[in-house]
Formats: sequence, structure tokens, C-alpha cells
Amino acid sequence: MDHVLALKGLTRTFGTVQALDGLSFDIPAGQVIGFLGPNGAGKTTTMRAIFGLTDLDRGTILWNGAPLGAADRRHFGYMPEERGLYPSMQVGEQLVYLARLHGLSAADAASQAAAWLEHLDIADRTASKVESLSHGNQQRVQLASALVHNPDVLILDEPLAGLDPTGIDIIGNILVEQARAGKCVLFSSHQLDLVEDLCESVAIIDHGRLVASGTVDALTTQGARRMVVRIDSVRDGVWAQAIPGVTISEISGGEVRLALSDTADSDAVLDAARSRGTVTKFVFERRRLSEVFREAMQS
Amino acid sequence: MKLLIIAAAAILVTGIRLLISRSRRSGAPSHPLRMLTQLNLFGEIGLIAGREIRERFRSRMFRSISVVLLLLVGAAVILPGTQSASQSQTIGLVAGTRTLENELHAVAAHLHLTITIVNEADMASARTDLAAGSIDMVLNGTTSILVKAPFSATDTSSAASFVRDTATLLGEQHAYADAKLTPEQMHVLSQASPLPITSLTAKKSITTTGEATALIGVVLIFIVLGQYLSWTLMGVMEEKSSRVVEVLLATVRPIQLLAGKVIGIGVVALTQAISLVVVALVLSAITGSKVLSGSAPTVILVTLLWLILGYAFYSWVYAAAGSLAERQDQVQSLVLPLSAPLIFGYIVSLIGVSTGSPSLLVTILAYIPPTAPFAMTTLVGFGVASWWQVLISVMISLISTVLVALLAARIYRAAVLQTGGRVHLRELRLRSPH
Repeated sequence: MDHVLALKGLTRTFGTVQALDGLSFDIPAGQVIGFLGPNGAGKTTTMRAIFGLTDLDRGTILWNGAPLGAADRRHFGYMPEERGLYPSMQVGEQLVYLARLHGLSAADAASQAAAWLEHLDIADRTASKVESLSHGNQQRVQLASALVHNPDVLILDEPLAGLDPTGIDIIGNILVEQARAGKCVLFSSHQLDLVEDLCESVAIIDHGRLVASGTVDALTTQGARRMVVRIDSVRDGVWAQAIPGVTISEISGGEVRLALSDTADSDAVLDAARSRGTVTKFVFERRRLSEVFREAMQS
Repeated sequence: MKLLIIAAAAILVTGIRLLISRSRRSGAPSHPLRMLTQLNLFGEIGLIAGREIRERFRSRMFRSISVVLLLLVGAAVILPGTQSASQSQTIGLVAGTRTLENELHAVAAHLHLTITIVNEADMASARTDLAAGSIDMVLNGTTSILVKAPFSATDTSSAASFVRDTATLLGEQHAYADAKLTPEQMHVLSQASPLPITSLTAKKSITTTGEATALIGVVLIFIVLGQYLSWTLMGVMEEKSSRVVEVLLATVRPIQLLAGKVIGIGVVALTQAISLVVVALVLSAITGSKVLSGSAPTVILVTLLWLILGYAFYSWVYAAAGSLAERQDQVQSLVLPLSAPLIFGYIVSLIGVSTGSPSLLVTILAYIPPTAPFAMTTLVGFGVASWWQVLISVMISLISTVLVALLAARIYRAAVLQTGGRVHLRELRLRSPH
């Protein structure tokens, strides 16, 4: 049976702030799931709740249909938003220590730590103190600490923040590998393009509530038609503002992304574009995840 | 006793060497300490304690403090013997007599001072020798005493005492002569001794070895507790500020993390305390120092027992306090209120020891857990606490420690993940630490 982690009606209030408001969604095995939401939406509180680091006012978390317990959590891997490692401890020793806390024998912990450091391309820093590493390498060690005990569930809070493209590729590939190996993988990020590339599914929350969820394919193909228009030497989208049934979704890189309602006429769009200059691009496209996100927030 | 101590030290050294050689043969981690701390005999708590022990023993601060403390202990044991051995004075005597020489020897013997008398031809040559340093003082018959530099009123050295006592003795003899007393009358007066003074309660002073050991024990407990409790406080604060605590608490329960830290640092503290005691006893046995000769083994054991109990009680409090802060300046405001009962118990007990009579306050403090480590050690040293009184105090301390630990774990659990500033107790939602 494939694993599944289910969040049911999670509710948590901090003083007057409603951090979680009946949040429910599933994290099935075999998929990389993006956990999206604006700052303060409740992502970190949700992740902390999964690990018992935040008390819930209401709601339950189920692991394979049964209430999640401390013993189950030993098979989970966690990478918190604010990175946490002993600064003056050696990298290899630290990973072995954390692996052993998750129940591995000394020998298994040592071999797993060595394997992950090799996989993350930082084996040469095994004997270095964490504080002597660059930000990117500390990030890799932090990811290794979440993976070193071969967990069934990976919960990662902003694992890609601050990484260079090489680091993003390495960590992104590992997330996909883990999902393919039958693990439940949930990670939060504000880098929506990366999420779109890496994830099969996303859960978008705002004010502690789920506002959109589903596969990336489903979310990006549903809703209004999308059109991308590029006009030579024109960087703004003023020309499209007055077209009936058309709204400007996004302007970036000299391209204007438009959402067309059912009554909107694409020929009218083309005419308006040509009236401003030479049209160099005029195509229908799927919604971007960033558009899905913005529309979910507006709704 | 000396043979036992030397044998124990030899067994300890041999045991450590054996561990090292076995670990080298088996290819296991070469450091015996690392080997011991990786056994994971006690689950997660054992692993956490093991890491604490490893990191503390490795730290430069621990090594520096250990070296300083060992040097201090060594000096305290060896130096007094060295000093007493070198207590000798050379007296230049002008116009001396056999009677005067005998009297000088008597005064010196009373002060445990060895003197050598050099007969000087006249005051001029005596002055020259004194200036050159070949003699320490000049006695001009029974008329005057000449020293190189004046002694201060607070100088209690044997040399100063010898000069003062000699001056007093010769002054008295002059007075007897002026009064025209017969030699028999002078002899009677010289034998005068003060009347015995008795009191309803027996006068106590630090004369017995047990009391002296208690004094050293109280100081040792204060130093070791001060050092290791601050480590506990800082250790928890640093885990919070580095955010590693969030990773750890995703795996282990707060009570396990807290217990592992407290036990780990406690083992290091006890190891250091025992090392200091063993080094002091071995040095004392080897050098023949009188500082610890015949020291009361019971008081040493009680000192170590109360060191453990004191640490066990306070460590939870300090750990909980550490979870409230995440910066050094926030820790500073916590240290004073936490240290107050420690310092109070220490000072009251020290006063009790130095006055030679533990007060009623010391007796009361001996049953209050925060002050009991100092007060009960003092009472045992003075022999005024029987075994059942010690047992009652230990039981009170153990029960209090359990209650304090439960409360501390709740505070720790609620506070250690709250970041962004100093956490105040009233802000916490205290729930079960599990």
C-alpha cells in the first residue's frame, strides 16, 4: 500500500492570529507536492504541526489512516525554514548523530551519511565544521540531515531558497528521485517557476485555509484561455486594457500574458496588438503556476 | 589509605590504556571516550548525553578550566608544605648569653620556626650582615631588636610573629628586672597562663579534618556548580539560537533532549570534580602534604553526593531559563535571579564554617533543596548531622528535583521554539512535556 499523510481540519490560533483555519489536504506517496502560499499563510505552522512542534487547537494528522505518533515521525525527514545545525560540529559527525537519533545503528548511520554527502557533492567537507561552509553547502548538509535516515516522508520548508542554479538542480533532482522511490515529498517555496518544473501537484493556502489544490497539469489547463503576445519595442500592456473580456495576467520579459473570457475575441486582441506595432509572438498557452497562485489569492 | 589511593589511580590509568589499545586493535574509533559515548546504552537520551560529553571534553574552554583547576588544587596541596619547610630565620646576636639563646629557641619552637643563631662581634658588623641579607634580624642583647624593614600590623607570618613575641618576652623580662623580682618570682610569672574560658555550648573551630574538608567541599561545590550550570544555560540558549533545536525536537521528545543535555553536562561536571579530588589525594599522599592528611572520607563522599544533587536540582532550572533566551544579553538578565539562592547558601555556609559553629540558619538551609548542597555538607563536616537527617534532606532534594524537572520540561517545550526575543513565563502555554 502506498503511504499517505492526511491533514484533517488543522486549526491553530496564536493570540488574535488565525494561523490555521480548518486546513485539510493529502500528501500521497510518489509525488513531489508544492506547498504554496503568501508569507504568513500558515505553511510553516502546518509543517511544524506535522512534527508535533506546534500544538493544534483542533484537527488531526493521519499517517496511513491512523493518528500520527512520535514513533511514526522518526521515519519522517524535516528541513525547517530557519536552518538548524550545530555550527561548531563536524559535518559528517553531525549527520551520523542525527541519523542515530532516528534509530539507525552506528555503522548504518556512518555509511548513509557518507553516501548522502557524496550524492550532494560535498564529501570533501565531511570533516569541516558546519560554520565554515558556504550558505549553499550548509543548505546541502541540512538536506542531507533530513534524508540521512531514509525517511518515508520528506517535509521541506523553503529548501531551494538562496541556492545557485547548480544547487537547485542537485536538490531538485533529489526531491524527484525521492518521490519516484515512493516517498511522500512536500516542500514549500516562493519560486513558482521551480515548483512548476518539479512538482506533480500543489496545495495553495492563504490565511490558514486551502484555496486551491490539484495536479499542476489540471490547475494550469483549467479556467480562462491564456494568450501570450509580444510586440516589437512595446514593453507594456496598455494596448490590451480596453479589449472586452480580456484581462492582463502578467507582464514579464517584454511579453504580455492575457486571460480571455469565453466571450472574448482573439482576433480583436490581434488587431489591438497590430495597431501598436509589429507582433512577433501571438500564441495560446497554458496558465502558469504563478497565475494560478495569483488568481487563487484574489479569489 | 595512601596505598589505596595510589592503587586506584594506577587501576584507572591502566584501564584507560587498555581501552585505547583495544580500540586500536579492533579498528573502532580510536578515542576511548568516543567509543564509550557511541554505545547508545540509553537510547536517545544516551545519544544526546554522549554528544554533550564529547563536545564538552573536546572544547578548549573545558581543557583550559581543567588545567587551571588542577594547577590550583596542586598548588593548594603542595605549596603549604613547601612554605612550612622553608620557614627558617637566621638571628644575629650581639652580646648574647646561653639563657637568651635558649629563650629564643623556645619562642621559635612555639611558632614552628627553625632558627639559626649567629653571634655578631658588635652592632656595626650585625648591621652590615643584615643589610647584606645573611641574617634576618639582629638582637642586641636584651635591649633592642633590629629588622631590615618594618612588619605591617596585619603580617601574620612566622617571621613577624617571632619578632613580636621575642620583643614582648624581652620587654617583660626588663619589667621584671625593674620591679626587682627574684629569679623564682620571675619564673612563676613566666609560667602564667590564661584562665580557661568555658561556655554553655561547646566552642567550635576549624580544627578537625572533617571540618577542613567540609570547607574545601563547599568551595568545590560552588565552583563546579557555577561553571556547569552556566554551561547548561548557554548550551540550551545556543541550541535555540542556532535553530538546531527544531530539527532535534522533530525527532525526540523535549524531555529526552533536556534530560540528555542535563545528564551529559552533569557527567562531565562529576568527572571533573572526582578528578580534582583524586589528584588532590594522590598529590597529598605522594608529597606527604598535611593539607589533606587524614581527611574525612565521609565528608568527601557527602561533598560529591551533594554536588550531584545540587547539579540535578539546579540544572533543570538553568536549562528552562536558557530556553527563554536566544541571545547573550538576554541570558545576563536571567543569571542574577537564578544565582541568588546558590550564592546565599554558599555564603551562609562559609560563615558557618569560618565561625566554627554552624548557625540555626545553616541547619534550616540544610533541608531546603537550593541551599542544602552547601549547608548539609557543612553540617556533616562538623559532625552535627546524623545519617537520618542527611537522608531526609536527600529525599526532600530528590522529590523537589523531580517536581522542578517536570515544570522545567513544560517551560522548555513551550519556550524553546519561540523566537524573536526574550520569552516571558506569562506568555507560555504550559502543556505536558511529552
